[in-house]
Amino acid sequence: MSLAVVVVAPTAMLAPAAADDATIVFGAALAATGRDAREGALTKDGYEFWKDYVNAHGGMKVGGKTYKVDIKYADDETNPQTAARLVEKFIDQDHVNFILGPYGSANSASTAAVVERKKIPMVEGNGSAEKIFSQGFKYTFAVLSPARRYLEGILEMALAQKDKPKTVAVVAANDAFSLEVAQGASDYAIAHGLKVVYNNKYPADTTDVSSIVSAIKATNPDVILNGGHLQDALLLQKGFKEQNVAARIFGYSVGPDTPDFRKTLGSVAEYVYGGTQWSPTAKYKGAAGFIGDSKTYAAEFEKKYGHVPDYHNAESTATCLAFQYAIQKAGSLDPLKVRDALQALDVVTFYGILKFDSRGINVYKPMAVNQIQKGNLVTVWPTGVQNAKPAYPTPDWAKR
Amino acid sequence: MEAFLQILVNGLLAGGIYAVVALGFSLVWGIMNIINLAHGAYVMMGAYIAYVLFSSFHLDPFLSIPIAFVVMFAFGYGIQRGAINYVVRAPILVTFLLTFGLSLLLVNVALLVFHGDIKGITTSYNGANFSLGNVVVPIAKLATLGAALAITGIMQIFLTRTKTGRAIRATSMDIGAAQLSGVRVAHLYGIVYGLGAGLAGVAGVLVSLSYSLQPTMGDPFIIKAFVVCVLGGLGSVEGALVGGLVYGIVDAIGSQYIGTGLSDAVALAVLLIVLIVRPTGIMGKATA
Amino acid sequence: MAATAPPSRVTRAGGITGNRTVFAIACGLMVLFLLVPLAHNGYLENLVRGVLMFATLAYGWNMIGGYTGYVSFGNVVFFGLGSFTSAALWQHFQQQNVLVAIVASCLVAVVFALVFGIPILRLKGHYFGIATLGLSIAIQEVIANIDWLGGGSGFTVRQIEPFQIYYYAMWGVCAASMAATFFVARSKFGYALVAIRENEEAAAILGIDATRMKVLAWAISGMMAASAGAVFAGANGFVDPPTAFAIDNNVFPIVMTILGGVGTAAGPLVGALVLTAINETLWTHFPQIHTLFFGAVIVLVVVFLPRGVLWLLSLRGGIAGYLASVKAYRV
Repeated sequence: MSLAVVVVAPTAMLAPAAADDATIVFGAALAATGRDAREGALTKDGYEFWKDYVNAHGGMKVGGKTYKVDIKYADDETNPQTAARLVEKFIDQDHVNFILGPYGSANSASTAAVVERKKIPMVEGNGSAEKIFSQGFKYTFAVLSPARRYLEGILEMALAQKDKPKTVAVVAANDAFSLEVAQGASDYAIAHGLKVVYNNKYPADTTDVSSIVSAIKATNPDVILNGGHLQDALLLQKGFKEQNVAARIFGYSVGPDTPDFRKTLGSVAEYVYGGTQWSPTAKYKGAAGFIGDSKTYAAEFEKKYGHVPDYHNAESTATCLAFQYAIQKAGSLDPLKVRDALQALDVVTFYGILKFDSRGINVYKPMAVNQIQKGNLVTVWPTGVQNAKPAYPTPDWAKR
Repeated sequence: MEAFLQILVNGLLAGGIYAVVALGFSLVWGIMNIINLAHGAYVMMGAYIAYVLFSSFHLDPFLSIPIAFVVMFAFGYGIQRGAINYVVRAPILVTFLLTFGLSLLLVNVALLVFHGDIKGITTSYNGANFSLGNVVVPIAKLATLGAALAITGIMQIFLTRTKTGRAIRATSMDIGAAQLSGVRVAHLYGIVYGLGAGLAGVAGVLVSLSYSLQPTMGDPFIIKAFVVCVLGGLGSVEGALVGGLVYGIVDAIGSQYIGTGLSDAVALAVLLIVLIVRPTGIMGKATA
Repeated sequence: MAATAPPSRVTRAGGITGNRTVFAIACGLMVLFLLVPLAHNGYLENLVRGVLMFATLAYGWNMIGGYTGYVSFGNVVFFGLGSFTSAALWQHFQQQNVLVAIVASCLVAVVFALVFGIPILRLKGHYFGIATLGLSIAIQEVIANIDWLGGGSGFTVRQIEPFQIYYYAMWGVCAASMAATFFVARSKFGYALVAIRENEEAAAILGIDATRMKVLAWAISGMMAASAGAVFAGANGFVDPPTAFAIDNNVFPIVMTILGGVGTAAGPLVGALVLTAINETLWTHFPQIHTLFFGAVIVLVVVFLPRGVLWLLSLRGGIAGYLASVKAYRV
């Protein structure tokens, strides 16, 4: 008896947030604590921006009826196990209509298994490892370009320069996302006649990369690429400076885009390239129903949150947009109908095209390349969206 | 050969930080038999003290070392008197859990105060270096190693030459006898734990020069402190220094020649072998 | 103030298996847990499956840390090995049978315990604890470098229908661990373990083959954790090294065992239930700061109830008795 009280009490205390008739409720398990707390907050801002925009513009019309939208959040502690449990709770306990994805590939993978079982569609914008989609899941969709494409743009740009690089060093954190980034980069390099002179990985929570820096220096590469996360990018870039490592290009999958990178490194961050899912200079003409161009999105976002949106913010907003257009097209909140509409989705937004292949991955959207020039983040590739020319090659450390 | 020398230098420089991190951990463990899982959180707090002083008053991190030490000493003293002393005689597990809870608490308070953003201290000498032949030596890391050596020396003098230091060592050998000769054990334990936290704070300041700041940044250092303590022998000041440097070098060589992905595994394999062959550490005395 | 150090026996409530009434209640709990899937509430099922998983891990820890007195800080290594065994069975042999996964994981755990147990169990006290912690971290890193085991990216595991199979499997693993603890504790083997904990040298003089007993205890402990890992891999649908070797799975079972009572047959289950309930309540009411509260709860419990919740039941002498026995730990 006492058991039943203990176990059920915490659950019973929750007022079941059963979606009332006029509200579409989404559930999102996002890290508020743990390693990805920062990225979790960026994701949440992206979601909230969309929610407030839609509600301020009269809500969503679905099948002749107008709905407000609401998003329930919970802290997944950067733990895939917790994320899965939370999503299950959203669906069974809170009866949310749909799931917005968590941050990170591992958490996306564990929650994908849950929504598949519950047959509730999930769109995510922050888990780009293709491994998530290798299981034939039918209810998970990702609006972002897959991990292996993160650094391709940098190589493509490098090959278009006058004095082309010849050798590449690739180093990655040992996790699903980073390894796919590195694999994609080295595959692309080899396919385009570049020589990969160094290809290695390090533990995901490393605190000292000086040995890796020494080893890369010994191979004297023209291009140095890293698949990893913000903390590793900071350590590596500092390490390159400390050991005077010269290269024409320093490129990172995650890092240069975040304001933290520039703030923390100061002048050491100059000339660094980063692959990016989206840039405020992107020139897409989005469909009606939401802010259609990147410039307005960036301005509105900055007005609200006090900083220019980075690509985590934008891809999170785009995650919600995929639902918005799919639900409107389905004309229903029925999970299966919305799933089918997502699979058939083909719409251009401020963030780029939203369209999924049979696995649920958005392979149709190109990546862009950013560079830090004089303390500012500018977009240098592809030429169609650039607002500055690439500053190539990177000069010696003494001249930065 | 040059490549090898560079790796040796890298390892030695990293080892200086590990030595300071391990020093406080080793004292607390060796003298009070407490495995202090909050040690990583204290390292983090030290780093944030340096950050706040640097960003608000442009105080150079090396100058904030004494401030971080004093603040963290007082904090640690308070924690020992206010909580740990209540269970210090309980089985080791109880203090293990207590410090684990403390660590959760402190990391999450830091998360509330500073948020999860990554912060860093960018000094004017950030990344500056000089070359010896083809071996590059980063100045900040060299200064860190110098600070580590100095702090170890000061601690050694404190423990062997001062009255309090001698009382601390006496208590760790025989608590009953120390009490009989008038040592206030509760106060003394406060000092020991304060020293541990203070040294962790100093380590945090040094770490902040080469590593970026995040509330969870201290976690990876706990396991390193473990390994260093075991390599050097518990509660021994010079042991922590030697252990730290050995660990740094083993880690650097291991990641170079066995695989960067396996650097922790290599260090831990060394740990296991040392433990099994010589359970009291390389420098340790033959006590149980 | 000249308190004498209390004997470690105090940490147990009642006899070698613990208080009988409490054990009966724990058995009742297990029966009740069998009914959970009938509620068709995935959230509740998930929550209780978590209780059962942590209880199983806690039983595993209790066997080596509680009964034998060898405080392991790295029992998650068995959980991780079990998870990866189960995931590899699916990935490479299309083997989805949960029972097969459990048996295979137990075999892996036993082999591992034999290979590493003989050298490591020679170490005493903290040194054993650190060696186990180091071992678990090292094995995690080694697995992260073996591509056949998914490397750093991990494996997805295809789940079988109906999903309740994982719930019942976890229940079965937990019930088996509980029963094993009960019977081991009453056996000659169990008394040998306690003798080793109280005084290993004296136990040896009594003719107890300490090394053999310790390795056996560690192997049993490992089998429990590995089976929990095997079921977890399927239930979670995804396994990578940080998930399988999560620090939570290492520390929570220890907290739970202490909360419920070290060296008892009911303690791990009770501790797992209480701690999960606390954590879930905090999480529901203080979503932003629940981990902070959780840390505070641990600190308070440790300072005020250093011998666990169930210890209160066997306490004599009311508040004075409580204060006297808490003060015994003070300096």
